[in-house]
Amino acid sequence: MEMLITIAVIVAKITCIYGGMITIAALTTLAERKVSAWIQFRHGPNRVGPWGLLQPLADGVKFIFKEELVPDSANKWMFRLAPALAAMPAMMGVAVIPFAAESPFYGDVNQAGLTNPLAIADLGIGVLFILAFSGLSIYGIILGGWASNSKFSLLGAIRATAQMVSYELAMIISIMAIVVMSGSFNLTEIANAQSGEIWNWNIFSQPVAFMLFLIATFAETNRHPFDFAECEPELVGGFHTEFSSMRFALFFLGEYCAIFVMCCMTVLFFLGGFHVPFWEEAPWFLQVGAMLAKIIALLFLFIWVRWTIPRFRFDQLMGLGWKVFLPVAIVNLLITGGVVSFMGGN
Amino acid sequence: MVVVKRKTLSFSEKLYLPEIFKGMSMTFRAMFKPRVTRQYPEEPLPTSEVTRGQPRLATNDEDGSIRCVSCGLCEVACPAYAITIDGQDTERSAITISGDVTEKFIEREPKEFEIDMLRCILCGFCEEACPKDAIFMSDELELADFTRKDLIYGLDKLKRPVSQLRPRIDYIYKVNERWQASSSTR
Repeated sequence: MEMLITIAVIVAKITCIYGGMITIAALTTLAERKVSAWIQFRHGPNRVGPWGLLQPLADGVKFIFKEELVPDSANKWMFRLAPALAAMPAMMGVAVIPFAAESPFYGDVNQAGLTNPLAIADLGIGVLFILAFSGLSIYGIILGGWASNSKFSLLGAIRATAQMVSYELAMIISIMAIVVMSGSFNLTEIANAQSGEIWNWNIFSQPVAFMLFLIATFAETNRHPFDFAECEPELVGGFHTEFSSMRFALFFLGEYCAIFVMCCMTVLFFLGGFHVPFWEEAPWFLQVGAMLAKIIALLFLFIWVRWTIPRFRFDQLMGLGWKVFLPVAIVNLLITGGVVSFMGGN
Repeated sequence: MVVVKRKTLSFSEKLYLPEIFKGMSMTFRAMFKPRVTRQYPEEPLPTSEVTRGQPRLATNDEDGSIRCVSCGLCEVACPAYAITIDGQDTERSAITISGDVTEKFIEREPKEFEIDMLRCILCGFCEEACPKDAIFMSDELELADFTRKDLIYGLDKLKRPVSQLRPRIDYIYKVNERWQASSSTR
């Protein structure tokens, strides 16, 4: 009986969290078009449903019914595998994200009898899990680029790989400063270390790490101003030039899910996570609301930056990653470690 | 030889972040500026009497009778051969100012008046050719249908009360007067 309840709770949590993530990812594509339109004095999609809210649904139906083209000279097996490999790791990351301190589901307790946080799996190594899967997402891109057997795709994939590998370093090292401060790899504990007053948020004690992480996030998710993987004027569509129909949509779904997970990470590391400012014991739905509000604000920032800043040149991007971000992140980590050990523990 | 002078960047410009914030504040303010897109089907383009839309046949406001006498001049004038007319006799009654019917007379009217809107080039020659002020270019511009047959407009789709076409009629008279005044062959 207890086993059944545990399984039911896990299934319910997976359904809610994954359903919510896919919905938000779909609405982000709409928000992207809406915000870009507003910035350019246009209206954006407003024909399908009220304020165009059903536009993602219409897009999805269109993608499903489009013809799937596979280039004659492509490596068929790899070509079909690549979109799944791009979307899967991006979606896996959300499994360890806690959305509230205490799960509202009945019987969701750990072995010590304490209520679990509202996460699919509250892993002790949650940070490493997310970083590992965001590292894996390179495979989808490089496989897609290579299997297409097209110059543009391959160039886009090579650029994306070089970029993601170099920015991952700076990103991970900037996070390590937070891990040193809160003394845990568990995302719930990192968030709990920032509960209470708003100035407990890590953004105030680690502003340099926040800027580094945020900018590295843009590079990691291949977003403007670092979207070299698909930089249209130079590479047509980059790694997804040859993809059509739902396979193309899967790349996009993966991209937006990755953005969602990265926003969750930023919120958990720097913006107090699911904690409502000044109210430690807030009920679970307010905590979920606070988390979602912070995530949506960050998603807006992503879109806003995309339609403001022009694209870097590729050598500038690599120079920025290796010559600026990496040294600054290492120095930041050294100073944090020094301060923490000098103060004695946390 | 052209020497391009590069601007030396100040420290804040080299930091790059202040400039980013400047740009972002600009795009944020742009989000609340009025939109310039016209929402077309709900917000049609403004038309004026100069607009040369699809030709329409004028009908008198008093009794709804058609002004066209099926003389065939527009048919001849039409450079695209879009107009087909078949005429017939009809009995009309002259009405005095007081509203009494004084006499009956025979008049010509079109039995069939077809304009193939797929051929019509909206040139307005029919309007110029018409001696009875019966055909005018309206301000109706939208032309779409599912079959070619439906786009051959008959009398039912072409008739418009003359009051609806009044701005265009007045404009045509004004232009003709100006033309006549400046004509050397008057």
